[in-house]
Amino acid sequence: MRNAWRIFAFDVAAPLAAIAALVLIGVALDWRVWWVAVCSVLCLLIVEGMVVDFVLARRDQVTVGTDDDGPGLRLAVVGLATAALVAAVLVCYAEWTVPDRERDSNMAEVVRLASNVSEATATFSPHDPTSSINRAAALMGPEQAEAYRNAFAKTAEQLAAKNVSAQANTVSAGVEAISPEAASVAVVMRAVQTTPNAPPDRAILALRVTLSKQDGRWKVFDVTPINPLTADQGHS
Amino acid sequence: MRDMSLVALSNLAFVPEGERSAVTNGESPASLTESADDERGPVFSAFGIASTALALLSVAAVVLAAIIWSNHRESTDRLRYQSRVAQAAADWTGVLINMNKDNIDSSLEKLHDGTVGELNNDFEAAMQPYRSVVQTLQSKTTGQINSVSIEAVHHDPDARTGNAPSPPVPDFASRTDTVLIVATSVSQNVDAKPQTVHWNLRVGVSDVDGKLMISRLEPIR
Repeated sequence: MRNAWRIFAFDVAAPLAAIAALVLIGVALDWRVWWVAVCSVLCLLIVEGMVVDFVLARRDQVTVGTDDDGPGLRLAVVGLATAALVAAVLVCYAEWTVPDRERDSNMAEVVRLASNVSEATATFSPHDPTSSINRAAALMGPEQAEAYRNAFAKTAEQLAAKNVSAQANTVSAGVEAISPEAASVAVVMRAVQTTPNAPPDRAILALRVTLSKQDGRWKVFDVTPINPLTADQGHS
Repeated sequence: MRDMSLVALSNLAFVPEGERSAVTNGESPASLTESADDERGPVFSAFGIASTALALLSVAAVVLAAIIWSNHRESTDRLRYQSRVAQAAADWTGVLINMNKDNIDSSLEKLHDGTVGELNNDFEAAMQPYRSVVQTLQSKTTGQINSVSIEAVHHDPDARTGNAPSPPVPDFASRTDTVLIVATSVSQNVDAKPQTVHWNLRVGVSDVDGKLMISRLEPIR
């Protein structure tokens, strides 16, 4: 009975666990070519070792697991199997868990940034014309921020002169597409523009905000209308 | 003296080789037993303890790998499901924004078949605005979906102003996701300029027994 357990543990389970770990690493690495080569060689070596073990068992009536004179070899077998399993856990964590967590946190972050920048671009106060521009520019990369400030500085002056104010609030936002380095977010806002001596002008704005990751931080790359306004249009 | 040595030799014939030398060296039986225990060593050798520790580490690694794999599978299944949800919402909305005076009945039937819950029960009332627009325009409409995304953020200003909240989702649905769809349709009349209609819709997609059905249609106004 004791020998049966030793055969199961050292001659069968340990090498099979090592092979399973190597295959799991392959799955986690999406079978990259270099790992296909390495995994093939290692699995072949393990199978060869098992074959030799059982051939010698038939001849000498003793295996790696039952050989009382070879505790070091048994420890080496268990050690290699454990190393393979631990390596599999580390690779799976790095290839699966970390990207999954990063994607979830990235999605939350890009939606938050897109919502903020969209509201800032559609909000304007004549008393502080540059505040919303600066707020939006702070969420952009340096080049985009500079271009945005230059593009809207004159418009801000005109709106301030006419005492026009605008306020926008996000109604709904969702991630259209995301990768570790870039994202596209759709934002639908309800905007109200107020002009002196005129009723408030209400509109629904649908914006697409594209973002890119720069130095580990998400920055707004561009803000464009999803459906450009045309002369003859309605809303449903 | 010679007789005594013969007796001693005859006794040694039944003693193992190792012990025989001990007896000949004059050691007592008690000391022989202790000596045998020393050679057998402790029950667990250092190699055995190390192997056991590694085996326990292996078991922990297998459990961790199973948890990691399970979580990753859950995550990828969620993404795959969301992709199906977005596709289902886009397909349904595609029919809605491409309704013409020629295909309005077949389109409404197709739309009705894809709904569930309160939207299905009150389908005629929910579709009345869209039906009237198509019948009024009497035009050929071509719709295009510009953006589809799973809603991640929703602020409902209507809730603050006391207006009616979003319609409830069906209780029998195992899960309901909201898809944000931005679309454009262009209606062309023979004797008038083309009219563009922008659609900003929140579409609820429910999983009912594995089938994705539209359970809510809410235009953002």
